[in-house]
This record gives sequence, structure tokens and C-alpha cells, in this order.
Amino acid sequence: MIYKRFLVLLKNTNYSRVTKRNITFTEESERQSNLFRLEKVRQKESVGRIEKIEVQYAGPPNETTLIMNKNISTPYDCAKHLGEMLVNRSAVALVNGETLWHMHRPLVDSCKLELLHYKMAQPSLVNKAFWRTCSFLLGAVAVNSFKDQVKVCLHSFPSPNVRSGSFVYDVQLSLKDWKPEKNELKTLSIEFIKFCQQNHQIECLEVSEDYAQLIFKNNPHKSKQIPDIAANNNGKVPLFKAGLHVDISRGPMITNTNHLGRITVTNVIKLETDIPGDPIYRFQGVALPHSIILNHFAYGLIEERARKLNTGRIPAINQDLSIDYGSFVKPQVVV
Amino acid sequence: MNQADVSKLVSQLRIKVNPRLRRFSNPNGPAGRLDKLRKTVTGLIKHERIELNYPRADEARMYAERLISDAIRYGDCHRTTMEMADFWIIEKQLIHKLFKVLVPRFQDCNTSYTRLYKVPSPYPIIYKREDCYRKAVLELRGNPYPSLLPDKQYNKNIIHNILLEEAKKEYRMQKYAEVVANTEEKGKCQTDSPDEKLETSSDISSKPESNKDEHTT
Repeated sequence: MIYKRFLVLLKNTNYSRVTKRNITFTEESERQSNLFRLEKVRQKESVGRIEKIEVQYAGPPNETTLIMNKNISTPYDCAKHLGEMLVNRSAVALVNGETLWHMHRPLVDSCKLELLHYKMAQPSLVNKAFWRTCSFLLGAVAVNSFKDQVKVCLHSFPSPNVRSGSFVYDVQLSLKDWKPEKNELKTLSIEFIKFCQQNHQIECLEVSEDYAQLIFKNNPHKSKQIPDIAANNNGKVPLFKAGLHVDISRGPMITNTNHLGRITVTNVIKLETDIPGDPIYRFQGVALPHSIILNHFAYGLIEERARKLNTGRIPAINQDLSIDYGSFVKPQVVV
Repeated sequence: MNQADVSKLVSQLRIKVNPRLRRFSNPNGPAGRLDKLRKTVTGLIKHERIELNYPRADEARMYAERLISDAIRYGDCHRTTMEMADFWIIEKQLIHKLFKVLVPRFQDCNTSYTRLYKVPSPYPIIYKREDCYRKAVLELRGNPYPSLLPDKQYNKNIIHNILLEEAKKEYRMQKYAEVVANTEEKGKCQTDSPDEKLETSSDISSKPESNKDEHTT
């Protein structure tokens, strides 16, 4: 039934003609997010008979056991049962003490659950998820902020590293030698802030390789990366969506865009790569969670550092992408 | 003149005592005012943290402090203290709490026994008089509730501390590199004029120190 609905949608929007015209990027994002939404609905309906699971929650205000729905309930739903404070502050969930779990990803079995936030004693995993989300959202901003005559094509972003001082997205732009002025960077920052203030939930979904190819058919870089990613992840491609923007990432990410507090897009630097076509630019930025308040002087120091070129992995033609796009969630040991 | 030392007659409180008491106009006169304050003091001893209007909190605080300090000073065998406790505490089972729980807790305390916080007023704020309509929280120290003040403990793992730490490291490395470059330059000049040797050496020792100070502030 869903497949039929999908066909109807294809008919109505008439993509064959659209591709002949030069599609603008909002149309492209709309198409991608529609496909994402349809697949999400299909997966939800294919759950069938609802089974119950026991979720043992450990943490404040007290330890509880919740009876939830298998493959439907998410850690976010558990947080809603436990209180508003946990709903607002939880960034990612930790399942069975070892697997990081996206807050909006359905739980598949009975488990122990912890909800992590930014001010824990050991928040390194949360910081990483936060940094990854920032990169992902920077991609969304890059796609949405340019005028129509500039062709924007997202490439990828390296594995998040907070110590490097900035989060990164590598984007192909049809601009020869663009050096952004202060005002342009300011505009990008404002676009970023405006995007985050729309309080988009960050949704996640695992789709098959073919479906991912369909979603990213207009992006040559992503379509090249997809087989590699799927091979490393049991034939599935993990996708994330915020607003209309859909992207591939290993995850997990934080719950909502309103977790971001201070945001700056600090620099855009042209990279030396062997990728054919238009030049690749590295977008860099810094951000802090909403719950962390920092004085402007200290934030200025961080900003100043983030203007320098981030030395993370620079994209090349034949590259092993398993570093950042490997399995969906890998257990990471907290030291 | 042989005047008694006041601090030996009455135990000195560790809070500011208002020179003039608030009257709290009441149809029952001063007795009604004391009734109100007795309720507040009893509530404070019972719940250990209460939220109320600022003037009443400030007023009740003085009586609660005096009651606890007398209980510590004279103990539960002193008749006057017992009468005072009986007067101020409406729920009589709390008299046991005063002598058996609060006295041991505050025996070695060298600050005030209570804390008074000003808290935000409910919307809309009416600016009629200075602290009328303002809200306050009055609590006993050492209560079992989580602190009202934000946790200001330093945690090096929180994201902004990591970013600042790395920025600091990079700044230092940059400054060291500058110092090294300077000394090398001066080393070249030295071959022309050997007198500058002393200056350069003092330069090296002083510079990194000053960098540290600059950045930590």
C-alpha cells in the first residue's frame, strides 16, 4: 500500500520532467525528505503485532522499570514517562551500558537504559554525538544558504573530533576562488542559528542500499559512498533527517536542534584535493550546547582557534570511508 | 560603670538582625503577628526548606536562629528554653526534632543555621514597595534536598573546557615557536656583535612565564 502511495507521489510531482529542468535545492531536499518520511511510515507499519519489552531505567530521579512497545518505543518515549527534565536535557541514550543509542530510534529488545547529558562526569560520548550533529547541521545550512546560481553538492565530513577545535563539512561549490568575507560568515552563522531555533527533531532511519541510492541520486559523491557504507553495515545505510535535510551518518546524534546554544560558522577554506569538477570547500564552525553558558571572551578564544584549517581527513577519490560511516553504533569503552 | 556584657546574656546570632521589626498589620494585633511567625518557624523546622514572601521569611529567620542557638546553648533541661520551644513550635513532636536532630547537627557550626535566598517573583511583578511581593526561600543548612545554587565544580571533560584546554595548548605552542624563532634570529646577530648574548638569555626565561599568566586569567 505504501509502495502504491509512493508511486502516486512520484506521478504527481513528475520527477522525470523536473530533472530536465535545473532543480533548485529546496525541491531536492523536499524530495529527499518525502522519500525518508514514506520509508519511515512503511517501516513503522511493517512492525505488525505489537510486543511488549521491559526497559530498566537507571538514573535520577529513581530506578524504574517501564513496559514499552517493541520496535516502536524509543528512549525519548521512556524519558517522557520519567519527567520533563530528562526529556529536555537527554542527548543520547546508553543501552545495556555499552551501546550508544539515538534518542528517536525504536528499542528492539528488553534492555537497561541510561540517559546521557552534557554535564555528566564523563561526557566524552555525548560530546562526540554533539559534534557529529553539528557537522550534519552545518551541511544543512550550506545547502540552504546559497543563492540558486551556486551549485552546492555535499561531500562528507570526517569523524568528529572535539579536540580539533571545530566541526567540519566538506562541500563542493561552483565557485572558483571564494574567500568568505566577515559578513558572509556572519550570515551563515545566522542561518545556522535560525535553522536550529526551528526545534527540529533529529530523526533516524536505516534503509536498504537501493533506497539510499534513490534518495541521493542527484548527489554524485554520496551515491559513490553508499555501496561502501552499506558493505560495512550489513547492507543498510543509516540516514538522519532534521527539517527537510537528509544525510548519511553513522550516528548517533543528539535529540533536537534546540540543544544547540551558541553557534558560529568560523571559516570556509578551499581544499587541495584530486576530486574532479568544482573545488571542495571545508566549512568549519564551533557550537556549544544550550545548557553550557560561557562568557564572550572565552568563547572568542575558541572561535579564533576554529578559524584555522581543521586537519581532519581531507576527501580524496579512493578513500576508505569505514572510519566514519561504518556500523551504525559501535560499542565504545568509556575510560 | 558595671554593665553586663550583652553577648553573655543573649547568644549572638550570625545573621543580620533588623533594628526595627516588621509589624505585619493584623486584626489580632501583635499576638496575630506572632501567630503568623510561629507558623513559619514550625514550617521551617518541619520541612527544612520553605518558599514564602521575603519580609516574612526574613522576620521568621531571626526567631528560628535564636531558638536553635538557645537550644544549643542551654540544652533540653533548661526551663526557659523549653518554654520558648513550646511557644514557637506548634506541632509538639517537632520539639524532639529540635533537640535531638538540629542541636547535634549545628553544635559545631560556625556560621548561621539557616540560609535565605531571594528567588524570582511570579509574573506579573508588582513594584509596589521595595521587598513586598518578593519571594524568598528559607532553609536550614544541612537539609537533605539538592542544592539550590548551580554546581560550579570544575569538570575538565565538559565540552567547553576541552575546547579551552586545547586552545590554551595551541597558544602556548605558538608562543614557544615565536621565542625559538627570536633566539635564532638573535643568534645570527650575535655572530656580528657578541655583547647581546646576555639579553637573549634573559628573554627566553621570562617569556614563557608571562604567557602562562596571560592565558590563565
